[in-house]
Amino acid sequence: MTGRERILAALDGKPAGSLPLMPITMMFAGDFAGVRYFDYATRAEVLAEAQLRTAERFGFDYVSAISDPARETADLGGAVEWFDNQPPAIIESRALLHDKSTLGRLSLPSPEAPGRMKDRVEAIRILKREAGNDLLVEGWIEGPCALGADLRGLNSLMLDFTDDEDFVRALVDFAIETEIGFARAQVEAGADLIGIGDAAASLIGPRLYREFILPGEQRLTSAIRAMGARSRLHICGNTRRIIGDMARAGAGMIDLDYFTPLAEARAACGPAQPLAGNIDPVRTLRDGTPETVTEALEHCWEESGPLYIVAAGCEIARGTPYENVEAMARFARDHAAA
Amino acid sequence: MPEFEKLHQAVLDGDQKAARSLTEAMLAEGVAPLDMITKAMVPAMDEVGRRFECEEYFVPELLLSARAMKASMELLRPLLTASGAQPAGRVVIGTVKGDLHDIGKNLVASMLEGGGFEVVDLGADVAPEKFIEAVKQSGAQIVALSALLTVTMPSMRTTIDALNQAGIRNQVKVMVGGAPVTSQFATEIGADGYSENASAAVQLARKLMAGSQA
Ligand code: B12
Repeated sequence: MTGRERILAALDGKPAGSLPLMPITMMFAGDFAGVRYFDYATRAEVLAEAQLRTAERFGFDYVSAISDPARETADLGGAVEWFDNQPPAIIESRALLHDKSTLGRLSLPSPEAPGRMKDRVEAIRILKREAGNDLLVEGWIEGPCALGADLRGLNSLMLDFTDDEDFVRALVDFAIETEIGFARAQVEAGADLIGIGDAAASLIGPRLYREFILPGEQRLTSAIRAMGARSRLHICGNTRRIIGDMARAGAGMIDLDYFTPLAEARAACGPAQPLAGNIDPVRTLRDGTPETVTEALEHCWEESGPLYIVAAGCEIARGTPYENVEAMARFARDHAAA
Repeated sequence: MPEFEKLHQAVLDGDQKAARSLTEAMLAEGVAPLDMITKAMVPAMDEVGRRFECEEYFVPELLLSARAMKASMELLRPLLTASGAQPAGRVVIGTVKGDLHDIGKNLVASMLEGGGFEVVDLGADVAPEKFIEAVKQSGAQIVALSALLTVTMPSMRTTIDALNQAGIRNQVKVMVGGAPVTSQFATEIGADGYSENASAAVQLARKLMAGSQA
């Protein structure tokens, strides 16, 4: 069974052999391949090569085009700060929608036009061509709360929820349209699964999440399903208070950060929801030992029960010892997916 | 006193309009600005912090309350200064170099203001030289550093080292915080204090002030 088959089987609730292994890597993969992160984030072939080498070395079941949250924002004209060996960052003080009325004048970005979105689509194409039979190929988009925060500035968006509901709704609509287009381009280029990163959603609490963000995430996952692809919902941060609602997002898999015990997630999501996660990427994976990593994963698996996918709470941090990542891989191989 | 309660409630509800108009009305009635701060604002922000800790409030509610408090403080601060009332202390705060996370830092800054401190907020991604310059200019007694990334935690150490090299380390107390920071780390890098959240940060700042005068 190939990695791709293993993940797809697990997502369908079918026998998958061993546990699927899907930890997020970005800077770790760039460092492993010995490339500057600036190149990783700007050159499809560099990202693809680093992903392929990392997956091969550590036995991951997938490769991903995730790199940073700024691709959509950059193409829309937002200000981005570049670093030599670190992910680019969106400059909040110069947020594109600092003036809310700008939203009405924004047109949807095209993933076919030259730019950072197109570069990701190109990375998918390379990954599909080079490894698409063996490894699952993952595309990546921003969720509605994340893209909303990228465009408007997180501090402002937090107040907008109360000050100007209509604006927030229009912003979420715009985000969904943008991301459906971006997801489609990636699926057409060969992505089997689309990751949706919606970190800012962990900050807003259940009431606002349910009212403004969940409906947007639902639209995204159902659009992705209609394209024939799967989805992975990843909300970094503490999601304990919204996991019950996340369960209704319609995601093919829910990927949890380390704050939310998998037992709570399992109780909230029911037995049919594939769950991924969620050892602490820094304290356990980077600063721990192969033994503590294995122990933490035992605990995750026990709490999740069947339909468990091995991953850390968030990206494998730069500087994580290889033997700890190997311990993760060994754990996945040695455990039969129930 | 019902007015204090109303102001307290306005801050708790994050209602900046109500906070401002209540403050105006109370000032017109001759209520002392310092009383409004100690009897309404500080307890309200403490309660906001408590609700955040037990996940009744989330970041939007926190920022709304902080904004309501600021709306009221804008009216009170000039009166306090004019009356010669001393601030509880002067704090230079910022997120360290390389780190753009500023929500936690903003909350700490607001809570400190609510607690009667004068706050110089340098923003995010602040280089050590900027902290030094601000300390020299403002005569602050406290430097507060925030970091949310494991990779930027070393910038806290660099900033403290730079204060040392500039010869002003012994003029200020340094407090640090942010999700990945621990009290052990704070000790390791030679900071004077660490706190886990924004309301504890105010207690800590008060303690450091008391220590620095002793
Ligand atoms: C929002 C967010 C962002 C936003 C920040 C926008 C902004 N204006 O702040 C954006 C999208 C820009 C962002 C970017 C990145 N982020 Co980020 N982000 C978060 C998130 C979701 C929330 C942080 C937050 O605001 N928390 C709420 C506040 C209230 O809490 P707080 O900051 O901890 O502050 C409290 C206390 O710590 C304390 N405190 C804070 N400061 C101080 C200071 C003093 C003196 C004291 C006493 C106390 C104190 O009081 C506060 C109130 O109680 C967290 C995950 C999470 N939920 O924690 C990830 C997280 C912090 N980010 C992370 C990462 C990796 C990144 C990126 C590198 C992602 C990437 N690959 O591109 C970039 C880095 C950009 C950069 N150079 O800084 C990781 C950090 C991992 C690590 N330990 O290193 C986290 C933990 C996510 C994760 N699980 O991996 N992020």
